[in-house]
Amino acid sequence: MTWLLPLPVAIPLLAAALVAAGDHVTPRIVQNAIAVLAPAAATGFSFWIMLETQHGLLIHWYGGWHPIGNLAIGIGFVGDSLGAGMAVLSCTLVTLALVYSLTYMRESSRLFDVLMLVFCGAMAGFSLTGDLFNMFVWFELMGVAAYALAGFKVEELGPLQGAVNFAITNTAGAYLILMGIGLLYARTGALNFAQIGHFLATHPSDRLVVVAFTLVLIGFLVKAAIVPFHWWLADAHAAAPAPVCVLFSGAMVELGLFAIARIYWTVFSGGLHAHQGDVRSLLVWIGVVTALVGAVMCFLQRHLKRLLAFSTIAHSGTMLVGIGLLGAKGLAGTANLILSHGFLKAGLFLAAGIVLLRLRDIDELRLHGAGRNLRWERALWFAAAIGLIGFPYVGVFVGHSLVDEEASGQGFAWVPPLLLVAEAVSAGAILRAGARVFLGWGPKRDPLLSWEPEESPPERSASVPLLLAVTTVTVAIGLVMSVIPGLQVRIENGAERFVDRSAYAARVLHAKSTPAPPHLPFAIEVAKPESWAYGIGAAVLAFAFAAAGLWYRRLPELVLGGIVRGLGPPVRALRAAHSGIIGDYLLWLTIGATVVGGAWAFSLR
Amino acid sequence: MTRRQIRGTIAIPVLGALGAFLYWGLSGLPPFGNYHGFYGHMVSILSLPQRHVTNAVTATVFDYRGFDTMGEEFILFAAVTGVVLLLRKSGEDEEGPPEDTVTSDALRLFGLLALAGGVLVGLWLAAYGLVTPGGGFQGGVAIASGFVLLYLTGSYLAFARRTSESALDPLEAVGAAGYVVVGLAALIAGLPFLANLLGPGKPGTLVSGGSLGFINWAVALEVAAANTILYKEFLEQYIVPIARGRKS
Repeated sequence: MTWLLPLPVAIPLLAAALVAAGDHVTPRIVQNAIAVLAPAAATGFSFWIMLETQHGLLIHWYGGWHPIGNLAIGIGFVGDSLGAGMAVLSCTLVTLALVYSLTYMRESSRLFDVLMLVFCGAMAGFSLTGDLFNMFVWFELMGVAAYALAGFKVEELGPLQGAVNFAITNTAGAYLILMGIGLLYARTGALNFAQIGHFLATHPSDRLVVVAFTLVLIGFLVKAAIVPFHWWLADAHAAAPAPVCVLFSGAMVELGLFAIARIYWTVFSGGLHAHQGDVRSLLVWIGVVTALVGAVMCFLQRHLKRLLAFSTIAHSGTMLVGIGLLGAKGLAGTANLILSHGFLKAGLFLAAGIVLLRLRDIDELRLHGAGRNLRWERALWFAAAIGLIGFPYVGVFVGHSLVDEEASGQGFAWVPPLLLVAEAVSAGAILRAGARVFLGWGPKRDPLLSWEPEESPPERSASVPLLLAVTTVTVAIGLVMSVIPGLQVRIENGAERFVDRSAYAARVLHAKSTPAPPHLPFAIEVAKPESWAYGIGAAVLAFAFAAAGLWYRRLPELVLGGIVRGLGPPVRALRAAHSGIIGDYLLWLTIGATVVGGAWAFSLR
Repeated sequence: MTRRQIRGTIAIPVLGALGAFLYWGLSGLPPFGNYHGFYGHMVSILSLPQRHVTNAVTATVFDYRGFDTMGEEFILFAAVTGVVLLLRKSGEDEEGPPEDTVTSDALRLFGLLALAGGVLVGLWLAAYGLVTPGGGFQGGVAIASGFVLLYLTGSYLAFARRTSESALDPLEAVGAAGYVVVGLAALIAGLPFLANLLGPGKPGTLVSGGSLGFINWAVALEVAAANTILYKEFLEQYIVPIARGRKS
């Protein structure tokens, strides 16, 4: 079955070239068919790979260059269930976004489809590769397609600036990664994950390895939008058309996190084993800070797409905590969270796109009550928002529960309550925006929310039923992620194999087969009482925050004044830091890299 | 202090600290000439017997790590697509290309000769890529720069007319698709993706390397067309406003 592995990459890339070659020549309907069927086929093959990899890794050596001894001379794809799951998520979201774009972006050039298809192939390659440099190639390809897609509405100033900020910060991150790869190659003479990992595990760790780890980590943290490297994300999302936001928030950011997990476990976990505690505390800390900063900023937005973008940052922080705890259960939690959040956030962006189309605006305050007649959109918006809260057995619930369990188990008992607050604040902001737009609740003015430039709406000719159908499917998939029978136990099993470096290396370099996993039942796991408590607590808090966002000015003067005096200065500073100025962003990137590097120069050597 | 100055004041010490950190790590590199990797030695020993290719770099780029190159080819493809997308005209610009006249016949003659030479060198570089230094990528860039001479020594109009988008776009896409097709053909034949399908040929001749030859030419086509499109897009941005300004 190893022949499956190249297909999720080859099919979308070939389709991209075909659509580009046939521009102006091939009938529109054929072009549309290629643009939708290619990512659908990639989704199908990724799904097939995911099913196959439940029994063990699936390896494809390109050009037939198998390793000699334990030296990998060619490039290998190493499919495992979590990587294949990332490919499934990415390709599914591209398929949904392209079906949506059939009508939403109808007047736009075919080049849009070409870039979306390239994006699809790059994300699939990134998920499946077993080679560090090959991962960088797909990272770059993903970036190039994404920058152009972010600047799609190039005739407006905002998108141009958003795309430029996005391109420059991410390119700076890419330089760091490339430098890190160069250092690792100089030390180990290898690019294959398993081979580098084997070398580092069997040789004493030194400062070169510490610097390389820092550089690679920071580069991917930029992509994952982790504080203080997250600035580009909101700018890029505000600029990009809704179907592109789906890919940014639903898959691209998460792939940055996936890369950190993949590289840590296959490459560094052996060599840095003695310093696991230091790595763990740093990643958990920045994850928690990211979740809180993202949530607060989310609450201060009135531009719907910016609001959703900051909510993505909040969730990305939680996902990093799950990975950074360096345990299989937390990793499984993040994997589940990536799936459920991916679809729910995608659904929200698609719904925001419909709002922009039908109401010709994307601003929460200007749209006050304007969406009263959009009943179906309203239902979708609130359903997706509730899915993101983590109410028991809905949406992100299982993912959050697993991350919380791992955190408590590792002695980070202070982490789950903070993540709960972050989740409730960001979900509360989405609920508040929905209540204002679709129900007309709350006042029409709110000085707390930052003003953003307007965005030009898409063509009116779009077919709303099709858009609603796609959005409904997307939200529905996201909502059921906590109740798919057998999913949780499969993800947990996949995560346990994901963190087993020596089994991975033995399979990749020496083709040693691993024992088949135990029989996995198709059952829905019963949630623990504390998970129930957290889920219900998050829901209560989220609705409370939403209500507070709408009616906080009805609070007694004394209470309100106290809140303003207490929270005003830090919130103002936080908002001022999100300046939109690229020089500031790069300065933060430099400071972050220096602080992480400096800390590890002392702790990891 | 302005925002810029504040930024500069903070940036200098921070950059210094980051530089110190990098230096601290980089000084742990093996000394110059002390190459640890077996990989380079192995490839330069293996490429001739295994692949019948005398240029080990081409064997690495198109075969041992050929899948990376496929991704890189698509980076160029996506970058050019992105440039065309972002520089697209907004509809009002329908006057046709501007007139610019050629003043020197001698220069024009030189340009034509140099164009022929440039394209020939490019084809040669690409054709002998498996034997001597060169290859599809380098050859493609040389071919494309031949076309720029049309503009440099002739006129923008001459350049624009001979580099029609309706021909270049499909050529570029076919070049990009060709790489994937070679890979898929091996997969359909039951071999790993991008595995060699043909006889390896005689080392040192133009038909050595088997499937590598096809990949090499697909890359040459893609790179030549992509670069020409890039030049054309940028010239259009630069030259059309200037020529318009001069006329009015």
